[in-house]
Amino acid sequence: MTSTINWRHLLLWAVFLGGLALMPQFVTRGTLRTFIFANYLAIFAMSWDVLSGRTGYVSFGHPFLIGIGAYTSAILSYRFHVPVGWSIPIAVATTMIGGTLFFLPALRIRGSYFALVTLAFMELMYQLVQVIRPDLTGGTRGISGVQTLLRGAVNNYYLSLGLMGVIAILLWSMMRTRLGTALSAIGMNEEAVEGSGLNTTKLKLFAFMVGAAVAGIGGAFYVHYLGSIAPRALFDVNFLFTIIVAALLGGASTIIGPMLGAFFLTFLLEYLRPLLPGAERYFIYGLIALLLYMYEPRGLYELFHRGRARIFGGRA
Amino acid sequence: MSPLKRTGLATALAAGLAVAGAAHADIKVGFIGALATDTGQSTLRGAQIAIDELNEAGGVLGGQKIVLVTADTGQDVTEGIKAYEYLAETEEVDFIISGCIDDVSLGWLPRMVEYQIPTLDTWTSNIGIIDKLVEDYESYKPYFMNVAADEALATLYVDFGKDILAGKMGWKKTVIVQEDTAFGNAINGLVTQLLAPEAGIEVLDTIVYDVATVDFSPIFNRAVDSGADFIYLISSVNSQVISSQYVKLQVPLAMTGVNVAALGQEYWEDTGGAGGGISTLSPVPSVGFALDPVSKAFAEKYVARYGNERPKFPHFNGFNAYHGIKQAFAAAEVAGGFNNTSWVTAMENQDVVLMKDGEVWLRYGFWKPGEIEERTQRTYPHNIHFDISPPYDDGAPSMVVIQWYEDGTNAVVYPEKYATGEFKVPSWVPSK
Repeated sequence: MTSTINWRHLLLWAVFLGGLALMPQFVTRGTLRTFIFANYLAIFAMSWDVLSGRTGYVSFGHPFLIGIGAYTSAILSYRFHVPVGWSIPIAVATTMIGGTLFFLPALRIRGSYFALVTLAFMELMYQLVQVIRPDLTGGTRGISGVQTLLRGAVNNYYLSLGLMGVIAILLWSMMRTRLGTALSAIGMNEEAVEGSGLNTTKLKLFAFMVGAAVAGIGGAFYVHYLGSIAPRALFDVNFLFTIIVAALLGGASTIIGPMLGAFFLTFLLEYLRPLLPGAERYFIYGLIALLLYMYEPRGLYELFHRGRARIFGGRA
Repeated sequence: MSPLKRTGLATALAAGLAVAGAAHADIKVGFIGALATDTGQSTLRGAQIAIDELNEAGGVLGGQKIVLVTADTGQDVTEGIKAYEYLAETEEVDFIISGCIDDVSLGWLPRMVEYQIPTLDTWTSNIGIIDKLVEDYESYKPYFMNVAADEALATLYVDFGKDILAGKMGWKKTVIVQEDTAFGNAINGLVTQLLAPEAGIEVLDTIVYDVATVDFSPIFNRAVDSGADFIYLISSVNSQVISSQYVKLQVPLAMTGVNVAALGQEYWEDTGGAGGGISTLSPVPSVGFALDPVSKAFAEKYVARYGNERPKFPHFNGFNAYHGIKQAFAAAEVAGGFNNTSWVTAMENQDVVLMKDGEVWLRYGFWKPGEIEERTQRTYPHNIHFDISPPYDDGAPSMVVIQWYEDGTNAVVYPEKYATGEFKVPSWVPSK
C-alpha cells in the first residue's frame, strides 16, 4: 500500500525543519555544536535504516561505508588538493561502488550471518587503513587538518541541517512509493515478496545502494566538518552501536524515528557532561536507552504518536 | 505522567542543572583528557594543584580566581572533538590543558585552529603536530606541547641501544614483541627504522599480539627461538599482563623497550609483585627520577592529597601540567590575558630552569619558531626545549630509561647524568 503526499505532510515537514532553522536565534553556539553532531548522526541512522530497518538485514558494517566516503574525500582533498566540490561527489560514488563490491555477496546470506559478515568488513577496513598506504591514510593516527567547508557553529549548523533535511525528505518520499512498501515487506516476509514475483535481490541491492549513497554523503561532509579523521573514530564498535541505537530507539522503519533517536541520544550525552564528567554518563546513557527500548521497542516515534493520540484523540 | 513528559522533565532538569553548574568564573581553565585513565588523572590533578596554589596566592590577572572545568574524551577521537567544542563554546574557557593521547589531540586540533584558544598538551609527543606549526605557524601558534616530540624521543632510543644494549651488554640482535595498537605500530616504525642502522642492533623478528592476549608462553617461546639477545617490548594497554608473565615464566631473555604500565608507581601492585627486571623508556620526570626541589614539593603535595587514589604518584604529565599551568598564567600576566597574539609571545619566552645540586636538572621552556636544534637539525616550534646531547645542560632530557628491580624498587638507569641505579639483567636470565 502506498500513501499519497498531501499538503499536510509538506506543512509538517516545513514546520519541523523551519523550527530547527530558527534554533540559532534561541540557543547558544555550544548547543548548536551538539545539534550538528545530532544532525550527522541522524543522517547515518537514516542511511542504516534504509537497508537494515526496512528489510531486516541488520548491518554491523555501516561505519565501513561511512569510512569509505570520509577517507576518500579526506585523502583527495588533503593529499592531492582536489577541490572539495569534486572530492565529495567522487567519495559518494566510491562508497556506492566499493560498498557494493564488498556487500553484494553478503546480501545472499541472512540473519546473524549477514550481520557478522558486515561486522567483519568494518574490522577489515580498520586494519587496512592502518597498513595499506599509511602515507595516504595517515595510518593509525589518521589525518588532521582536513579542509573544513565552513567555519563557525551557525554556518555548520545550517549546512548539516540542510543536508539532513534534504536526505530525510527524499528518503521519506521514496518510502511512500511502492518501492518503499516492497522494501518494508521484505522485512516482514521475504519469501512472500518473492512469491509475489518481485526480485528481492534487486530490491535489497537498491536499498543498499541508497543507504550507501547517504552514508557516503554523510561521511564525506562529516569529515569536512570534523577537520580530522582517524581509524578509531570511524571503524569503531561504539560508533556503530550509536548509529544502530539511534535508529532503533527513535523508531526503525521510519524517517523521523532515526532523527528523533539521534537527537535524543546526542543531547542526553551532552547534557549529562557537566553533571557526570567521567565515564558514568555513558552508564546513565546506556541505562536510559535500554529502559526506553524495553518500555517501547518501536521507539520514540511510537511514543510521540501515542502522546499525540492522547491529546488530540484518534488512533494510537 | 506520560513517559514523554517524564523524559522532557528529566531533560529540562538536566539542562537546568547544567546551567547552574556552569557558574560564572573569572578565569576558566579547561581540562581535556580521559578521566578514567591514570595519565588523564595525572594531568588533571597536576593542573588542579597549580590552580589552587595560584588562587591561594591571591589569584591572577588582578586578583581573579581560576576555575577548572573538565571535559572527558574517554580516549575517543570524536568525543575529544566534542569535548573541545564543549570547553570552547559552552564553558568559554580561556585556556585548555590537555592530557590526551596522540589521535585524540590530532582530532581536536582543527578546533583549536578555529577557536584559537591557547592550549597546552602534556601527554602526546606526536611530531606531526609540531610539523603543523612548522608549516603554518599563524594558524597553530596557540598550541604548545611540553613533552619532547617523537624525533627527540627517538634519539634516546638510539643512544640507549648504542651505549647500553649494544655497547655495555654486547647485544646485537633483538625481537620486537608488540601490542596491536596505534601506539605499538608507531613505535615499532621508529625502532625498526633507527635501532638497526644507528645502534647496530638487528631486528630478527616482530611478534604482534592482541591487547586481549592472556597467555604469552607461545609468544615468549617464539621470541626465545628467534635467537635474539633480548626482547624489545612495545606495550601501552595491558603491559602489566605480559610483564608479570615474563617474570613468572622466567623467560631466559632480558626485556626492555616501551612498557607504559611501568611508568606509574602502581606497576608493582598491578603485576602482583611480579614485575621485576623490566626496563622501559619514560618521559621525565619518571618513577625513580631524582626530583629538583620545586618538583619535589609538588609531588609531596600531590601524594598528601591523592595518595590513596590511583595514580598515587603523578605520572610525568602530572608534573608537566603543574609547571605548564604556572607558565601559562605567568605568560598571561605579561600579556594581560590569554589573547592569542601577545600571550603566545609571552609563552614562547617562558623559561623555567629547575636546578638540582647546582646543575640544570629540568627545564620548562619552548623552542621558538625558526630555532634549530643542533643534533636533529630541524625546528620544533612550541615543543618543550629539550636537550638530547650529553651533558644535558641546556634543557630537560627527552627521556630516561627506568628499571624495576626484583625487590620492587625502581631507578633511572640511563642516561648517566640522571641515573639513580644500574641497568641489570634479571637473575634468571643466563649470562651470554
